[in-house]
Amino acid sequence: MITFGKGNLRVPKLSRPVYIIAAGLTDFRKLYPEKQTVELCLEAIRMAVMDGLGMEPKKFKEFVNFCVYSQFADHFGDQLLAASKVHDYIGLDLIGNIEVKTGGATGGSSVLAAIMAVASGFASCVPVIGWERMDEVDTRQGNAYIASAACKDFESELGWSYTTYYALMMRRYLHEYNPNRETLAKIAQKNHHYARFSPYSQLPGDYSLEEIMKAKVVSDPLTFPECCVMSTGAACLILADEETAFKLTDKPVKILGLGAGTHTLRTADRRDMPVLLLPNETPEMYKDIEGYPGFKAFLAARCGVRQAYHMAGIHNPIRELDILETHDAFTVSDIQTYEDIGLRPYGRGAEFIESGDAYFEGKLPTNLSGGLLGTMHSVGATGIFQVAEIFWQLRNEWGKFHADEYYWKKYGKTKPEDFRNLQVPNASRGMAISHAGTGSHVTALILERGR
Amino acid sequence: MISSEDAPKLAKEWFRQKIPAELLVKYNRKEITHAHSYGGLSKFFKGLTEGALYGTKCWDCGGVDGNIWLPPRVHCPDCWKKMVWITVDTAGAKVYSYSTTNYPGAGFKGTVPCPLISLEIPGVCTRPMSYLSKFADDEPYIGMPVKPVFRKKIPTYTILDVSWVPID
Repeated sequence: MITFGKGNLRVPKLSRPVYIIAAGLTDFRKLYPEKQTVELCLEAIRMAVMDGLGMEPKKFKEFVNFCVYSQFADHFGDQLLAASKVHDYIGLDLIGNIEVKTGGATGGSSVLAAIMAVASGFASCVPVIGWERMDEVDTRQGNAYIASAACKDFESELGWSYTTYYALMMRRYLHEYNPNRETLAKIAQKNHHYARFSPYSQLPGDYSLEEIMKAKVVSDPLTFPECCVMSTGAACLILADEETAFKLTDKPVKILGLGAGTHTLRTADRRDMPVLLLPNETPEMYKDIEGYPGFKAFLAARCGVRQAYHMAGIHNPIRELDILETHDAFTVSDIQTYEDIGLRPYGRGAEFIESGDAYFEGKLPTNLSGGLLGTMHSVGATGIFQVAEIFWQLRNEWGKFHADEYYWKKYGKTKPEDFRNLQVPNASRGMAISHAGTGSHVTALILERGR
Repeated sequence: MISSEDAPKLAKEWFRQKIPAELLVKYNRKEITHAHSYGGLSKFFKGLTEGALYGTKCWDCGGVDGNIWLPPRVHCPDCWKKMVWITVDTAGAKVYSYSTTNYPGAGFKGTVPCPLISLEIPGVCTRPMSYLSKFADDEPYIGMPVKPVFRKKIPTYTILDVSWVPID
């Protein structure tokens, strides 16, 4: 739809408070034959429960009354109803569960589903576990599987590559807004750099801008370091109602705002429409905008974040948020997202990078996790991983789960000698954006440090 | 009885990495055929093989001018009524965006590098994706005028049956 009724623009509310109480991850690898999917999922929840809550699994399981599982594509794992195997493997039968699927935003949507389960009163303690087994097929086939999530009649045959679908957006974005090409490369540079300080990361590294821009071109103008990794691994969060949350931990993180939006699967089908305004925008700002959204904006992000901001009472995201995780699948999608979520007006997303705002010690550090470019994109796990990283930041536990030699050794890695502690001091509010397709589904989740 | 003709193959190496000796990694080969129907869109894909480019239009929601859907849809997404088929006039069609892919995914039928394009066509409310089947060194560029060509001989019965070439 391109016009909205009152019901379409309703601000969500929860019937009762919902908290995140623990998070766990595996490391992420291109190839992970040492562990089956169920083993990875068990390791992620074991870390959340034992390292996070400090509880014995048997004791923790007494609290669980629903589970949400998150896997993008049955194609990759080549196992339908894989959630049932995971649920069984971690010994949670006979408790009910659902598996959620919304493409790249599957992780975000799974967290959303778990929040709904707790907020409605249906459940009081809900593990959310996500994974993707992307290493059974080679990269060409992997790209084809991912492109199976484009329209099979009108898009997939045209390249079998989501990189191309984003490259089409990038070319148009560069044409309309003319940012420095280097600014986009800086996003890749930043996230690969932060990935160096994560024991979970798949593709850490310090690259010069020239190395990024002169790297092999996947689909022009996008080069290899500007495209996300393809990963195998798992991530877990535990959600709970207030009573359970404070019983199991002394500083739970509260859900402050959430939203979800969609837009046509085919980028082609996005009809021109007026800009849906965020709380920090006015109609005058966009009185001259033409061909919107065209290929320059993700209205699913706009719609989702608008709900989340209104629900959380956020008027100025840069001032009122302390930490952000975006779905940096490609450098271009990241710069577009800065505009969609109101960090800068449309056309000026580059300023978010150039001002230094997006960096550690900037106004709104973004993807200190290393993001999808540097650390992981194990699709079903991705939206959960993002929230896990924000959860630790808000609990002042980033160091505990990144700086501790224990985690580096656990994954057979050596902690870098120039290791930097990326804990944002006094971080109290964070947001995670989970994103699918060329913006077919987006969820926005705003978290706040507990009392 | 289990046939021993197709002895299973074990992977010793994957993604240019050696598989540790203690692990068993077996190749699972697949060859599958689906019978995919174009249903109500069959007219569009048949049209390509006959040199016609059809879109659809809802006269109730789309008004007198423009608002043609390409890709076509059988139903109007606004009022859910059936739309009507209309031949798309491609005069004034231009390249809206482009990207040359060097690493397409498995199953891509074209040659590499392949210049994929998105189109802007007067009267069409969408920006359909396609590819260029002929282009010079300094092409494509945004705004480049193009016209469609159709693969009438040996059609693929896919969206690849229409491509675009520059108007000289």
